[in-house]
Amino acid sequence: MLKLDFGEIRIEGMRYASLPLAKINLKDERFRTSYFFSLERLILSIEKAGLLSPPLVRQAEKGYILVSGWKRVLACRKMGLPSINVLVTEDQDDLRLFLASVHENLAVRELSLVEKAEVLRTLLKFGVPKNVLLKSYLPLLSLPTTGVHLDVLLCLSRAENPVKRFVGEKEVPLPVLQFLLRFTPVDQKLLLPLLLPLGQNKQKEILEDLWDINRRDNKPLRNILEEAGRRHVLGSPKLSPQQEAEKMRLGLKRIRHPQLSSREDQFNSARQRIRWPKEIAIHPSLNFEGEDITVSFRFKNEKEFKARLEQLQAMARKKEFPELLSR
Amino acid sequence: MREIQKIFVDKEVLSFPLTKRIIKRCPGVPAAVVRNKQELDVLLASSTDPTGEGKKYLWLSRHKGAFVKPCPCTPHYVGCNYFVINLALNCPLDCSYCILQVYLANPWITIYVNLNDLWTELDTFGREKKGKFVRIGTGELSDSLALDHITQTSSELISYFARKSKVLLELKTKTTNIAGVLDRPAAENIVLSWSLNSEKIAREEEKGAPPVEDRIETAKVVSEKGLPVGFHFDPLILYPGWEEDYARVVEKLLCSVIPSRIRWISLGSLRFPPALKPIIEKRFPSSRIIYGELIQGKDGKLRYFKPLRIELYQKIIALIKYWGGGQIPFYFCMEDTEVWERALKKTPRRKEEVELILSPRLNGSKSMASKSGPSGY
Repeated sequence: MLKLDFGEIRIEGMRYASLPLAKINLKDERFRTSYFFSLERLILSIEKAGLLSPPLVRQAEKGYILVSGWKRVLACRKMGLPSINVLVTEDQDDLRLFLASVHENLAVRELSLVEKAEVLRTLLKFGVPKNVLLKSYLPLLSLPTTGVHLDVLLCLSRAENPVKRFVGEKEVPLPVLQFLLRFTPVDQKLLLPLLLPLGQNKQKEILEDLWDINRRDNKPLRNILEEAGRRHVLGSPKLSPQQEAEKMRLGLKRIRHPQLSSREDQFNSARQRIRWPKEIAIHPSLNFEGEDITVSFRFKNEKEFKARLEQLQAMARKKEFPELLSR
Repeated sequence: MREIQKIFVDKEVLSFPLTKRIIKRCPGVPAAVVRNKQELDVLLASSTDPTGEGKKYLWLSRHKGAFVKPCPCTPHYVGCNYFVINLALNCPLDCSYCILQVYLANPWITIYVNLNDLWTELDTFGREKKGKFVRIGTGELSDSLALDHITQTSSELISYFARKSKVLLELKTKTTNIAGVLDRPAAENIVLSWSLNSEKIAREEEKGAPPVEDRIETAKVVSEKGLPVGFHFDPLILYPGWEEDYARVVEKLLCSVIPSRIRWISLGSLRFPPALKPIIEKRFPSSRIIYGELIQGKDGKLRYFKPLRIELYQKIIALIKYWGGGQIPFYFCMEDTEVWERALKKTPRRKEEVELILSPRLNGSKSMASKSGPSGY
């Protein structure tokens, strides 16, 4: 069981009140923990059952600062409600109020990576030292307690909104995030449309190849992407975003691993020339590092089995067959 | 080479002769007697570069496990039947490609001072080998000579092994720290070997190591004193201009050292576990070696695409042969049979077959095959 000692976080001087929504200053985001969310379900709930749990606000010189309940307040605003029931506190300790908000959120939902990053940045801003973040707050947020993780998340908290939205919506895992955040903010924006349609493994592959090429050739990212686009043509002039991203991935691979790509082309074209049967799979060893080639097929009965063997024998008799084996 | 800033002594080994010697030979370096390694952990905990920082600290301790082990090589590639003596862990040099950055659990330099246990273990090892030819070395988890001016263990090792004629002791280094070696009479079964690279790679990637020219000059001095020498072109690294640069090193080497005194030359190309890549990027941001055409090998390590490796080896071997080194035994470190066959026209399937290639030669050196040491070596 996770045991963490943060001392007592008890907010002082709370009272219920009904406030005009316009009096809550949403420009002051010092206590904000919720980012990139949908309000649809919450609006439906408020329409049907009303606002059951009042947001927490703090009295300011002019109006009120929202401590906890961003989604609730935004939903009420969107619904056009004139006023809202809230809890008002006179507590002036920002760190204590923020921690209360964090704990309230953690009790009812899982925070996204972007939200966790924002929590860490806010804690840092409120004077919590890095070693305390590492030791106490990373475990609270269910994050591994390493300096690398802390650095990546603080870096994410400084990223621009489109990047944060991408990370939030695609549930980008930390290793991919780490690769993405190594690029400049301008390059990050350039990369987002390319990464959006792809799965995590391919995202990581693209980011790693791009980084390596950028470092190896000392070329701007835009030029590398242009070159990669030229290197691989899928045939269709109009490509879907997914096809476009895939084209880019293969083009980048050619630039990053030219000799390996050329060997793969050679193998594939030999397979095509020999008219290798599609019922039988043939694969060289990983990266052509071993000398062995694997052939595999499925069969349901003796007849099918014999047919495959005959196909294989026919392949071996072709004069182009040695091309498949050439090293 | 990083200067040692502090010596930490395990309380248990304070009275050991090697402990006293090391402290005596480091005047001005503070020494602290501690019960365990925790103090070192605390010292390095706040460092932004514990791997680099750790090289400033010596930890003198007792080795509780076995000193002698078979060289681990790497899975799925041909080994060479080598044995290693782990007298020290880590190294004061700071090479960007060094696998010890991920291999070792602790960043500081550990020196095991219980040498009496080593001699006992070596006696047993010799009896178990029953007179078979054995190659053994201290340069696996450290540089054999980088700290020899402090430890002086090389002369003790030479004294021990000079009497064991069936064992070939290799002291592998990048340094010119040979005073302790020259202190002892030359013996045919003591080989001093140097890791060599192009001057560019040495300058840019081997922080703290002497220029390659100095290593070759030192090898020349050593071979002229009668000691056999060996060379390791490892890790060979591809970059624009590599052919010309390596050609210069090979020429310099074979014009300096008589080929018949060279016991072997090994070749290996850049390879490392993927976990080392981010470490090199962080610790050596100006290094570009990790951006070569590296693929994942059969052992999971990153290495050059095989045709590139073969071309690299073929060219280096051709250069060595051109400069008169055709009779020198070659071997590859962590390569497979296809590379052996295509680059060297040899097909060893097992490490014992590689061992045969490296067995003592009659040509240019005295045969050791007919001699036998007192303890069964």
